Amino acid sequence: MSLKKLLKKSTPSSSISKLSTINTKILIHMNDVWASYDGKNYSLKEITLSIERGTNYAIVGQSGSGKSTLLKLINGMMNPSKGQIKVDYQTPNMNKKQFRREMSKIGYIPQSLGLVKNISVLENVLIGALPRIGTLNSLLKNFPEHEIEEAKKIIKLVGLNGKENRKTYMLSGGEKRRVAIARALMQKPILLLADEIVSELDQVTAREIMDLVADAQKRLNLTAVMVHHDMQLALEYANRVAVIKEGQKILEIGIDGDKIIDFQSGNMPQQEIMELYNNES
Amino acid sequence: MNPKNNLIIGLIIAGIIAMSYNIDANPAEFVEGLPNLAIVVKEMAEVEPDLFAIAFWSMLETIEMAFIGTVVGVVIALPLSLLAARNLNSKLIYVPLRGILAATRTFPSILWAILFVIMVGLGPFAGVLAIIMYTIGFIAKLQYESIEAVDSEPVEAVNSIGVSKLQLIRHVVIPESAPHLISQVLYMFDYNVRQTSILGLVGAGGIGFYIINYIKFFEYGKAAVFMIVVLITVLIIDFVSVKIRDKYIVKEQKGMQVKV
Ligand SMILES: Nc1ncnc2c1ncn2[C@@H]1O[C@H](COP(=O)(O)OP(=O)(O)O)[C@@H](O)[C@H]1O
Ligand SMILES: [Mg+2]
Repeated sequence: MSLKKLLKKSTPSSSISKLSTINTKILIHMNDVWASYDGKNYSLKEITLSIERGTNYAIVGQSGSGKSTLLKLINGMMNPSKGQIKVDYQTPNMNKKQFRREMSKIGYIPQSLGLVKNISVLENVLIGALPRIGTLNSLLKNFPEHEIEEAKKIIKLVGLNGKENRKTYMLSGGEKRRVAIARALMQKPILLLADEIVSELDQVTAREIMDLVADAQKRLNLTAVMVHHDMQLALEYANRVAVIKEGQKILEIGIDGDKIIDFQSGNMPQQEIMELYNNES
Repeated sequence: MNPKNNLIIGLIIAGIIAMSYNIDANPAEFVEGLPNLAIVVKEMAEVEPDLFAIAFWSMLETIEMAFIGTVVGVVIALPLSLLAARNLNSKLIYVPLRGILAATRTFPSILWAILFVIMVGLGPFAGVLAIIMYTIGFIAKLQYESIEAVDSEPVEAVNSIGVSKLQLIRHVVIPESAPHLISQVLYMFDYNVRQTSILGLVGAGGIGFYIINYIKFFEYGKAAVFMIVVLITVLIIDFVSVKIRDKYIVKEQKGMQVKV
């Protein structure tokens, strides 16, 4: 049941987060995390959150609120100035060899998608397999047959059948997002980080892409952390939504059974959510 | 036009007059020399067609030299350009390498040819080595500049997959910087054919050897045959490389415009 449906039918009641206890199901944990690009201004402040495996976690907030920064912290592209982060029991840091191995299992899709535009769809998707390929073979672009088969299967799965040899710069915005998702899936990820990948799309295409992610997530038991601009989409697809404002998490709601829980305060936030929801839609 | 611009133009004109005195440039001599040109042109007009066969074969040798020089130069230049790119290496590597590359470009290929004639003796091999040197300096510079201009977004995104640096270079940096390479290499070949045509002046092989010798002995009619062959060849190469460039590069840009 989606958060949106629950919001419409549930009645106010108070409940306490069950996640405050230690939980082995937790994939991502942040404790009082602060982050800064220049050492003076903090783009994120006092961020504490836990994300369970298999969750579709949405991060919503205005432009400049710190959403992209939060994703960069999770995959180790940026280090916090203060506080602890654990992802799959490890501290993210892209310069540490050990975490680089972990990064091969984190499918990160930046806002710009980061596709290589002068190569084909298939070649872009195969990039996701590179951590599994030896140096010599990857220099020769010599991928094992089973990886090529896998890539083709994923290309079909994301709806780009027949376009595997198309150069990436020739694709539409929606198709490019499918390629980025396919590259991430090719990594055989345990975690998907997606930064506003549907923000610039029309409603129909945005939903197609979201359905695609939701479907892959279910089949692969993926955890997904997705940044959204649109509250409505977040409520529809996520089982947890965190709202960030000026670097701080001001609200975090989720489903517990068939009730909505405010994980930020422990109170049912019906009023506030409905306001947010109405403002955005 | 404002007073400042007038002043600058005035200074440039004054400078040209002063420098002309310094280099003994005398327009009167140019005018007096025109009849001499007429004599040369008249003698050149008496071309000796039996020489066309030799001219053709020596032009072929020239093209072969330019071709080998361009290909080998490019093959050496590409790995060097990766090492000279600031976004891929530490200062310790790219600073000295850029210095060496700049030095190879400082000498025009004819100076390199003199050096190699001294080293390996007269003949086309010295010329090929000269072309290789110049090509390395030139193509490596153009390539490290396009590597440095590669979009950082795909580099960061793929780096976050946890790939190795070599993989990143092979699968992102090279494909993103390669599209300019075809047109750079074509231009280089075009340029090298012209350069190779004059390397014979210093005994480094190619068609220039015949031209300089006939001119030395005032056989302008014979020299003319060879110069005509050079002219036609360069025009053909120019035409062909424009066609190739249009085919590969313009089409790609159009593709980008059609679908955004
Ligand atoms: N590379 C950067 N250098 C300096 N400041 C940055 C950089 N990236 C983001 N910021 C700043 O950090 C804040 C949060 O940015 P970001 O996480 O990109 O926000 P969002 O993704 O929510 O739009 C903003 O104030 C932004 O100006
Ligand atoms: Mg952002």
